[in-house]
Amino acid sequence: MPPHARPTQHHRPHLAAPAPAAGRSRAVVPASAALLVLASACAILTASGCSGAKESRARVIAVDDFGDTVRLAGAATRVVSLNPVTTEFLFAIGAGGNLVGRTHWDLYPTAARDVPDVGNGMQPNVEAVLGQTPDLVILYASASNRGAVSQLRAAGVMTLTLRTDHVADLARIAPIVGEAVGRRAAAIATADSVSRSVDAVRTRPRAARPPRVFWHVWDAPVMTIGRGSYLSELLEVVGAENVFGDIEAPSPQVSLEEVVRRDPDVVLAGPAGAATIHAHKGWAAIRAVREGRVLVVDTTLVGRPGVRMGEAARHLRALILGDTAR
Amino acid sequence: MTPAASRGVTLWVALLVALAVAVTLGLAIGSVPLAPDVVWRAMFGAGDQASVAIVQNLRLPRVALGVVVGAGLAASGTALQATLRNPLAEPYLLGVSGGAAVGAVLTVIVGLTSPALLPLSAFAGAALAVVLVLLVARAAGGRADPRVLLMAGVVIGAFCTAAIMVALATAPENTVRGALWWMMGSLGDAQWSGVRWIAGYVAFGIVLLVWWGRDLDVLSLGEDAAASLGLDVERVTRRIYLTASLLAAATVAGAGLIGFVGLVVPAIARALGTRTSRATILASALAGGTLVVAADLVARTALRPTELPLGAVTALVGVPFFLWQLRVTR
Amino acid sequence: MIRADAVVLRYPNAPAPAVQGVSFAAAAGRVTAIVGPNGSGKSTIVRALLGRLTPEDGAVTLDGRALTSLSRREVATTIAVVPQREEPVFPMQVRDFVALGRYPHGGAFAGRTDEDRDAIARAVARADVAEFLDRPTDALSGGEWQRVRIARALAQGGKAIVLDEPTTFLDIAHEMAVFELLDGLARAGQAVLLVSHQLNLVARFADHIVLLHRGRVAAAGSPAEVMQGEVLERVYEWPLVVARDAAVGAPVLVPLRGRGTR
Repeated sequence: MPPHARPTQHHRPHLAAPAPAAGRSRAVVPASAALLVLASACAILTASGCSGAKESRARVIAVDDFGDTVRLAGAATRVVSLNPVTTEFLFAIGAGGNLVGRTHWDLYPTAARDVPDVGNGMQPNVEAVLGQTPDLVILYASASNRGAVSQLRAAGVMTLTLRTDHVADLARIAPIVGEAVGRRAAAIATADSVSRSVDAVRTRPRAARPPRVFWHVWDAPVMTIGRGSYLSELLEVVGAENVFGDIEAPSPQVSLEEVVRRDPDVVLAGPAGAATIHAHKGWAAIRAVREGRVLVVDTTLVGRPGVRMGEAARHLRALILGDTAR
Repeated sequence: MTPAASRGVTLWVALLVALAVAVTLGLAIGSVPLAPDVVWRAMFGAGDQASVAIVQNLRLPRVALGVVVGAGLAASGTALQATLRNPLAEPYLLGVSGGAAVGAVLTVIVGLTSPALLPLSAFAGAALAVVLVLLVARAAGGRADPRVLLMAGVVIGAFCTAAIMVALATAPENTVRGALWWMMGSLGDAQWSGVRWIAGYVAFGIVLLVWWGRDLDVLSLGEDAAASLGLDVERVTRRIYLTASLLAAATVAGAGLIGFVGLVVPAIARALGTRTSRATILASALAGGTLVVAADLVARTALRPTELPLGAVTALVGVPFFLWQLRVTR
Repeated sequence: MIRADAVVLRYPNAPAPAVQGVSFAAAAGRVTAIVGPNGSGKSTIVRALLGRLTPEDGAVTLDGRALTSLSRREVATTIAVVPQREEPVFPMQVRDFVALGRYPHGGAFAGRTDEDRDAIARAVARADVAEFLDRPTDALSGGEWQRVRIARALAQGGKAIVLDEPTTFLDIAHEMAVFELLDGLARAGQAVLLVSHQLNLVARFADHIVLLHRGRVAAAGSPAEVMQGEVLERVYEWPLVVARDAAVGAPVLVPLRGRGTR
């Protein structure tokens, strides 16, 4: 992928000439083939063509989590953020005004709702993103986004792909995102503040025996969180133990009987999950369910390692340990 | 007793014993090791609360559903193969699986979580597809012609597949996995309230098919031969087709798509030497129940703690069996 | 026994009727044959007897009762139709196959009554298939299969038996055996109606021949009357001569080599 960027020039990708309808006319085939060659030649020439003086002003911000080099000429002022973590982070550092696009699911803070919705964050609608004429697109580092990254870069739009899977990721990405929008200091400060709020919960007194938690993610099939997931880390922060912490995968599928066997003290679930657990008699095989210890989690708060991690940790701790100290 | 009769008795005894063994193993084995006497007492509500909860709320309904689903699918497949005069016919070819999947997937992605709603919408989807197949077949001019019915089934099935793909493409991401899981088949959602209904429906369906056993014998001779014996080919084909398909639809509503049972078990029953359609249907029902319970046991224990999709296990069993059958019949 | 009076049969959406104003009678105790070139309407008549095609005009009667007024079961207990081809998708034992002939007589759960057993035994004897009873239907030769199908038809207990091309794919020995069997049935009082290509065998065994041409009766009568060179040549659209077979004393049709040669 050509790393050249023309951040202020909106460049539409060249489309190849359409394939000729078979058997219509002998003359169409060679004519279309010629057009195809011509169009491809033009595309190659312009893509590799001189980028002019602008390139010398673009500097390297970072190498992102896909291994791509991120170059920007100045602060990015038209940012499409395809990750709720980065969307809320940009608002938190005062760069909400730079946003020209968010995903359908980015609803925090309230001001985010005024930013145009460009659809999914995974396998995004590239055309909708390009329609906002961004100078930077921030994506989540999932394999399913590689295609979008290629297409965006081919269209001359800079992309920044970041992994946001763990508690530590926010502090890691903060300087990069901050640098990209020209608010590096604010970004680092914000990330520090979040880390401190998480540590504040981490350092609270632990119970003699950590409560054993089963976190219900889905019930058909029964899915929970494994060691690799952010939620499992969150449980560690609040001093609880994930009964399936021995499984590496972030969201493993398990059998209900296995949950019964591991005998958690407490079951955590979102509102819909809790309703299903109470409605489905099979779940009553779990002691915690029979003894009424199904706790409802605010899934909008604890769902992601964003700027509200400290609040999420406090929410969880209050829920599981009944500890409401700030 | 004549040798033939004693062979007949042996067959039924063997089938019943196999079913009993499968059910016993299904109840006794699971993630939580429970001693056999604990399991036995727990079935009647005696013993510690955890064991009773596991046996009564998890294992019993699961095994019961497995027996019911296996019997229903196998009986349905037997009837359809005789009616359509095609040893490769099975209920899923005639719109049942496609329609049920559309109903279920739509419910899952819309996020309706009431436990009764999913089976009901799966059944409704299947029933609708089954009727559509009949209408398409009639529009194509072959009212009871098996080939036209099968082609209509393929057409409706393709349409349903397209609808499911659209639904999954536009669904919220966290629901896709649930929808796919349903389509792969599982006994995991077994609850007594639902299993009771499905058991009743399946029993009724099997009784009807057994009742019409003689009609099935005659139908399998061929359209002209059946007509010459006085059978109203179109009407009988239609009513058996509807009964067998709705029977399969009930099993899909309860357990998702469990393939190969309707295709392979009738062949097994016939290979065991049953002579009339009645006997084949009953033998299929017993063998089908056994197969599904056994497959579920494998699905639950092969890759602990992950539960394999039941449809995958039955396919893995079905394919080599099927290849062996092909060789034998050649 | 089986009468057709000016029957008109048309397939759905067909521009012209396949059978136009055909009349014939198949009486008890004799062999009646319907012959004619492809497309002359022979199989269409069998279809009508199977109840798969309703006459547009005219009537078919069985023993004086209109075919359309009888239920399928009543028809099945009165006449037995042996269709041209039959291949059960799942092989069954011959004894069960023949026993299915009693289907029109019983209800859903009718056990075998004595009447059933007698009818089956008689049918087995008349068709001479006792030695195959325990064999599966896919282990029979062509001739044996044909006899078994006739046995089932006889088990239906009707007064007439209708056969559509009963000897296609059979060799000489089996062909003759089937015709002898049909002849025997007729002598024993059955009405035998058959549709056949085999003009020469038909000429020897049939008591009455109906020659069809493009849906109409071109000739009807005894073999000697119908087997006439000019009418046969016109109907079959091929040069031929009718000779007299010295060995058996029956008319023999001899098609000539292609037009314009020798």
